[in-house]
Amino acid sequence: MILRSLLLRHGRAALSKPPTPFRSWRRHLASEVEQTYTNSHANQNYIAGGTSGTNAQAVSSLTTPSASSDQIKLDWEFFHHQKSTTRPLGTSLTPHYKPHELLSNPPRPEDITLELLLASQAHIGHSTSLWHPANAKYIFGVRGREDPIHIISLDATAAYLRRACKVVRGVAERGGLVLFVGSREGQAGCVVKAAKLAGGCHLFTKWIPGSITNGQQILGKCAKRVVNHLDESVPGFEKQLLRRAAVKPDLVVCLNMLENYVLLHECALNNIPTVGVLDTDCNPTWVTYPIPANDDSLRCVQVIAGVLGRAGEEGQAARLRSAGRGDHPARQDHGLEAPSEEDVDATPLEREMALLRAAEAFEEEGVVAGREGEDGEADHVDASLTGAGGPEEDGVDVPYERDAPIEGGADERVEFSPVVDHGSKVGDEGEWATKAEHDIEQKPGPERRERS
Amino acid sequence: MGRYDFAPQRVHAHATQLLAQKRIANPPPWYNIIAAIPPAERLTRPPLQRSQRPGGKKASRLFKPLRLQYEEDRLRWDYFNDHPWELAKPRVVLEDDGRDAEKWDWSIPLDHALNRPKSGATSEEGVRLDLEWDGIHAQQAGRPINGEAVVQRTNDLLNSGIPSSHASTIALAEFARHQHYTETSLRVAREEALATGAFFGPGPLEIGMMLEDRQYEGWRQWAEKEIVALKQLQGSAYTGQGVEGSGQDAALEGGTVGGEEGLAKE
Repeated sequence: MILRSLLLRHGRAALSKPPTPFRSWRRHLASEVEQTYTNSHANQNYIAGGTSGTNAQAVSSLTTPSASSDQIKLDWEFFHHQKSTTRPLGTSLTPHYKPHELLSNPPRPEDITLELLLASQAHIGHSTSLWHPANAKYIFGVRGREDPIHIISLDATAAYLRRACKVVRGVAERGGLVLFVGSREGQAGCVVKAAKLAGGCHLFTKWIPGSITNGQQILGKCAKRVVNHLDESVPGFEKQLLRRAAVKPDLVVCLNMLENYVLLHECALNNIPTVGVLDTDCNPTWVTYPIPANDDSLRCVQVIAGVLGRAGEEGQAARLRSAGRGDHPARQDHGLEAPSEEDVDATPLEREMALLRAAEAFEEEGVVAGREGEDGEADHVDASLTGAGGPEEDGVDVPYERDAPIEGGADERVEFSPVVDHGSKVGDEGEWATKAEHDIEQKPGPERRERS
Repeated sequence: MGRYDFAPQRVHAHATQLLAQKRIANPPPWYNIIAAIPPAERLTRPPLQRSQRPGGKKASRLFKPLRLQYEEDRLRWDYFNDHPWELAKPRVVLEDDGRDAEKWDWSIPLDHALNRPKSGATSEEGVRLDLEWDGIHAQQAGRPINGEAVVQRTNDLLNSGIPSSHASTIALAEFARHQHYTETSLRVAREEALATGAFFGPGPLEIGMMLEDRQYEGWRQWAEKEIVALKQLQGSAYTGQGVEGSGQDAALEGGTVGGEEGLAKE
């Protein structure tokens, strides 16, 4: 709704005179500035106010080439004075829905209200003939005579959304990696924004099947780094990271469940909890934490993603606060070893050469060269998220077929043997190196080998 | 169960087993938080409606979602059956904050905008009527006055005790008055604009006619080609030159058998 300020119709009468120092400066410079602003509409005094008919002070541009900082400062003040005087004129809009604000300033978990969800069309489900009967308890009712649709219960939506916010906040607070996935058209913006807020990762294109279960093949080339408890990069782990595949997420938030069923299945195989927007036609057993809502409405998805991103942001802030205080979170399995002195001290070029040599040696021998197993590293080495040294670190020198680096600089092709899961669904965990995020004390080697 | 996989709901139990078997040395980062906030139960179907009368032969609707019915539905059915073209009017369904029901007061007549009292008018108690109107108008001027508004107004009148036929009459009269005013003002504005030099582009009817003409032209050219092809086909059955006359004449004219020449000529 537009409110019209009936009183302030005429600018000339409404404008007050500018503050005195400003006026005196302008008058002072009037002698210098010969070129005044000529306005044919005879409202030259619209800034000066009143009908005093003094020299026009509404100078928009000055032609003096020697624009000193004083002049710039005067222009700046003039501009702001003009803005503040003319702002109350004209119409003023009541607060209304601005679509871009869902991306620029997403709502917070405290802002979750039934009215917000209603306005975001979160209650609109699919046709009754397309439903999944397991979602019956999230459904408020049926509307429509000819083509009835299901109406999702907004109490359930709000409750489940708040629960998911708590989970995301908790996972981020404990240094977990949250992956936001939304592959429908238009969801890229909110997915990226949520990932940025929560300090996690995003995906707005198709999920490549096997990115988790076959990660060393598909994501073998992705960049990895080790960070300490304050999120600063820790050098010296490049050689170890060479043979590590990508990090597995600790929590996956999926905004369109039906299209990403492969992703959700892979997460189930690898014991990764998931959060998903559950429409009336989705299977509720696919995700750990469903949020019954409308996944076809972009506004609804942006609200949900924004709220979860804000929750992750709070978790990250809490984590960094406690990390700054010195409260380090619990130990994690990352399987990294403290880098040797030469790794840390080497110049970038020497490090590159060492890496190349290590890669070539690895390909030739099939065993990692230069393996250091020393603790005594004073620096807090950050943990991986799940798993640790896997079966290949039992001490048996088997060729690293499953962990062979992909195109490690040389032209030789590396043959990959098919990955065989030996019954355990979480068996791959050991192979994955991680973007370590917490400080953790380095574990001695033998203790690691006790596992498996 | 057979075709359900409950692994997502059992991530915590699974991690606990792995820890117990020492497959992993340390719990994953989500372990404690998921223990504190466990996933909700799945695949339960609580009763959503009342059960059927006991002894009924039909299957119970107890576990099916409820069909939502409101009093306004009857009014909408009546109104839009009587005024079907109201359904063709575009309607904005975008909401700002979802609190429209709190804002709009349907006890205010639909033609409130046309009923401003004279400036300075006072009621018997000394209340300035025009200022009161201004206050109401400031709040309620943004009401969308459409078929839905008629339904809501009728509902409000019914709730205040007016009999149903009279209520719908009142609401319809208010709506008609408002519509008449707005349509007239739009028409006058358009005429004023045309008189002062504005020009408008083609309206929807004109654009529809243009599209139809375009389609017709395309069809006409196709039809001409088809006629030519058909004539060729017919002409190939007869021998002789490409004669426009009847097939009998062409056959009588004579020529080579087969009519390849005829075809080649075409």
